[in-house]
Amino acid sequence: MSMYMEGILTQMGVNILMAYSAYIILATGQLSLGNAGFMAIGAFCSGYFTVRLGMPLPIALIIAAFTSSAVGIALGIPVLRLHGFFLVLGTLGFGETVRAFFINFEPTGGAYGMRGLFGTTFEMVLITVFVVTVGLWAIEKSRIGRAFDAIASDEYAAQGIGINIRAIKVMAFGIGAFIAGLAGGLSAHHLLYIEPGNFSFLVSAMAVLFVILGGMQTFWGAMLGAIIFSLLPEMLRFMDEWRLSVYGAALIILMILRPNGLLSRIFLRGLVVRLKR
Amino acid sequence: MLAQQLANGLLLGSTYALIALGLTLVLGVFDKLNIAHGDVFMFGAFAGVAAASFGAPLILAVIAGLVTSAAINVLVERSCFYPLRNAHFLAPMLSTIAFGILLQNVATQIWGSDPSRYPNIEAVTQYEVGGILLSSIHVIILVISFSVMLSVDIVIYRTKLGRALRATAIDPEVAGLLGVNTKNVVLVTFLVAGALAGIAGVLTAVVYSQITPLIGIRLGLIGMVAMVIGGLGNLRGAMIGGILIGLVQVLNDAYLDASYRDLIVFSLFFGFIVLKPAGLFPQPSGNRS
Repeated sequence: MSMYMEGILTQMGVNILMAYSAYIILATGQLSLGNAGFMAIGAFCSGYFTVRLGMPLPIALIIAAFTSSAVGIALGIPVLRLHGFFLVLGTLGFGETVRAFFINFEPTGGAYGMRGLFGTTFEMVLITVFVVTVGLWAIEKSRIGRAFDAIASDEYAAQGIGINIRAIKVMAFGIGAFIAGLAGGLSAHHLLYIEPGNFSFLVSAMAVLFVILGGMQTFWGAMLGAIIFSLLPEMLRFMDEWRLSVYGAALIILMILRPNGLLSRIFLRGLVVRLKR
Repeated sequence: MLAQQLANGLLLGSTYALIALGLTLVLGVFDKLNIAHGDVFMFGAFAGVAAASFGAPLILAVIAGLVTSAAINVLVERSCFYPLRNAHFLAPMLSTIAFGILLQNVATQIWGSDPSRYPNIEAVTQYEVGGILLSSIHVIILVISFSVMLSVDIVIYRTKLGRALRATAIDPEVAGLLGVNTKNVVLVTFLVAGALAGIAGVLTAVVYSQITPLIGIRLGLIGMVAMVIGGLGNLRGAMIGGILIGLVQVLNDAYLDASYRDLIVFSLFFGFIVLKPAGLFPQPSGNRS
């Protein structure tokens, strides 16, 4: 595989993970526009372990993901009582606070960031995406997945039938932060050099956009959205310097044409039924 | 020293106030968050710089920015909000993020990604009032931004149009039944919000003399911070919030380290949302979600 293809596919894998991290939070009827913050924690944390402490990358990744997850749980608790725009703005504020924190955090290089990160292979990204996908599939099929659904469609009814909505919602933040932490660590050790500016609000927003455009009813939608919108800028290369403008316009037009995303559960079920015949 | 810093903070804060005012108008009347607002501001700034580089005086540059941003903001309404009026509440908000990406890249194509400069303004005189040093240009900017804020306040709270806007904010359906043309109200809201962003853009370009296609992201966020601190949906609160943030930033730069600037502002933001989501001046009508 050429370096070029490998680069694109690695970025795509990272985007799929980011879409998953946004999806799992959306699946409980919440929203996070601050997942770039978790990604930053995963990136700087794993970078600190590999570069400064000389740890092997896989171990550093897992510690970083757990750290990010702990922060996710810590964020999930105060955010529980926020709804609508307050939730949007609160998580957005969290992401920006994390970015501003790393600008002032000297152990990871402050505003200049860290260099000398390497080691992410394509196989590693592939395995991570595969494992996380299987994990999400298992969650979706389990009692917890049904609890997610119940909360997303009617919080009060869910509470009424004995679902601990506080625990489930906080858990969603924990899982989402874990996945975003993995994405951050993998992407940092692929990019070789990271700075706090890499984890801007736009990264969080794109993760949510992947899910909304792909379809937020199933994690397959998140995956599809991430794949299509990672490849689209490459397919638009012939447009040269206008490609990112066209990309933005394409997102707006798609949103108008399919506001509920490309994939829905009914469509998937129909597909399975047709395939079984 | 302190008085000088307060004057600088007032100058910076007045542009933030204009941004927050536009965001709050759209959120208050229309119950929608326009995340491209910062990029609409950026486009206005560039339009002003372009006009000035053709030799337009400051007032014409401000008008160029105002008109450009107002037109673009109506475009935002037509492409992101109107077609998605029945969709999930996230859909139009995310669509405006895509619109922001579009604006950033179009601006990069037209004006390049290097900082653009507002041409030097000649005939600047320095005034000294009670130990505070102010240039004539700063005085003009303060006069423009405060008179704009005052006129918006008068229009919203003292005129028929303002009453229509406020009625739509409380309940669009009932307002429609009572004879308010709510479609026009929405259009006017976006026009005014865009115009305010455009004015703020040109004034920012004049004060800092440098702008890039990406400044809108940060300034849009700061506008949101001001909006939250002032109380979501409260217009006067948003203006005060903007000025407060300007003061906080300038005081931070003067007495702490400039690199703490964003950390302080965004921690305040996050702290407010979690601990005091209603802001400093809660909106009494209570129609916020």
